[in-house]
Amino acid sequence: MNELAIDSKDLTKTYGSIRAVGGINLSVPRGAIYGFLGRNGAGKTTTIKMLLGLTRPTAGTAKVFGMDVSTECMAILRRTAFVSEKKTLYPSLTASELVRFSRGFYPTWSDSAVEKYARLLEIPMKQRFEKLSNGNQTKVWLLLALSQGADLLILDEPTTALDPVSVDQLLHVLAEDGLDRGCTIFFSSHQLEEVERIAEYAGVIDRGKLLLESRLDDIKSEFRLITAAGNSLPTQTSPQVLSVVTEGNFYRYVVTKDADSFASGLSQNGATITNVATLSLREIFLQLVRKEQ
Amino acid sequence: MYFWKCWRDTRSFFIVFLIIAAIVMPVAAIVCVGTHLVEDFGTSAFSTTFGLILTAVALGLGAVGAIHEFADKTAHFLFTKPRSRAYFVWAGWAVGFAELAAVAAVNFLAGWATLSHYSKNPFHSALNGSMTAQNFLDDLIFCIWAYCLTYSLTVLLRNGLKGLGASMAILFGLPFFAAAVRLRWHIDLPLFPGLPLGSLPLVVSNIIWILIAMFFVLAAQLVVERAEM
Repeated sequence: MNELAIDSKDLTKTYGSIRAVGGINLSVPRGAIYGFLGRNGAGKTTTIKMLLGLTRPTAGTAKVFGMDVSTECMAILRRTAFVSEKKTLYPSLTASELVRFSRGFYPTWSDSAVEKYARLLEIPMKQRFEKLSNGNQTKVWLLLALSQGADLLILDEPTTALDPVSVDQLLHVLAEDGLDRGCTIFFSSHQLEEVERIAEYAGVIDRGKLLLESRLDDIKSEFRLITAAGNSLPTQTSPQVLSVVTEGNFYRYVVTKDADSFASGLSQNGATITNVATLSLREIFLQLVRKEQ
Repeated sequence: MYFWKCWRDTRSFFIVFLIIAAIVMPVAAIVCVGTHLVEDFGTSAFSTTFGLILTAVALGLGAVGAIHEFADKTAHFLFTKPRSRAYFVWAGWAVGFAELAAVAAVNFLAGWATLSHYSKNPFHSALNGSMTAQNFLDDLIFCIWAYCLTYSLTVLLRNGLKGLGASMAILFGLPFFAAAVRLRWHIDLPLFPGLPLGSLPLVVSNIIWILIAMFFVLAAQLVVERAEM
């Protein structure tokens, strides 16, 4: 059995001369919560559209549960729930009617889940979609996705327009209920704190290139900020050194791996290591993106 | 469920025109029975009323039936449901077609019942003109054609107004185009869908007209299947 829920090889999408996604290799393990991070226009939504068959890849392949997105789209959609970045739905339908509409497409649909999430997320089910606030429109999308009984949840910016309480509820639901069911959750976001809170895995995409993909714990344990005092210390970046900032005799290095050996190398050059600190996901993300720029 | 949603989208339009058909045709019949002494005026007015109501329904349903998935930008929601895009194109078309057929039936039956009442014989029209079942069939085929064309253009242009406008331009431009071809090259093109094609038997002509109409929907399906969202 394929252990990956999503597996892409050199997945590429170009629009004319614009390369929206440039050959990314995604590996999302089954049952994992995977945060797909990137700035606006980084290629997150285009990648998701390719996974769902809304857009055809220009090159490369992508498989969801071992099924090719180009040839087995229907089978993939049967097992996948999706929350779009654009939270538009049929304006004249109420949330109850949207449930009625969606229910028929999925044999695994759960009405008890509808009741549960409608209550939990406090969704006015009898109100027309167009009359709902942006936050409630987002919640309706989430309700429909969560009630589907899908094996894979693909959420594109799911917390857009949600208030902090609703974000908290949603993250709780995803982390608890999703994992209880063994569901794989792939969500794109630029809200790094949310990803940091619930994701086990993270991938960082920028300008269509996957800059990093790993377990979140591994990412955090590998990246270090080393502050050293000394004269004429190295200032070049390298695959190991993401950035160097100097302030007088102080040098701040962001190191991607083997921080201890790098620090001892600096010591041998006469530097005094004043601090070795871990980085938050936000800091790591910013460092990666800045380096790419 | 998609059928239910299509019905929900179009039901207001459908019900309004169903009522119009049920009221206008008896009124038209009463007026036409009273004016049939003026040559065939009554007959042609009655037939025209039937055709006008159906044409309005065909154009309206064609645009309204397809507008919701594209103009409202909800295609990304619909096309991530585990059904083929062809299913959605044809389901929407089928609901509109059924509604068009229902309005046509009410339209016809209301007029026929009124005329039967005046002629005291259900198989004899109180109108003395040369109106035949073929008149109604011509109107019906024209409306099916108009409906399929409008539906397809609305799907392709992803906009109800543009679809309706383009469809009307084609339908009403066709006679002028045919006239221009006849003047310039002395070739007779059919003026309206539903009329005989050259020397072909009427049944064959009608089948060809309907096949052309279905081809529009098929073309829309093929485009939608290849569209990137």
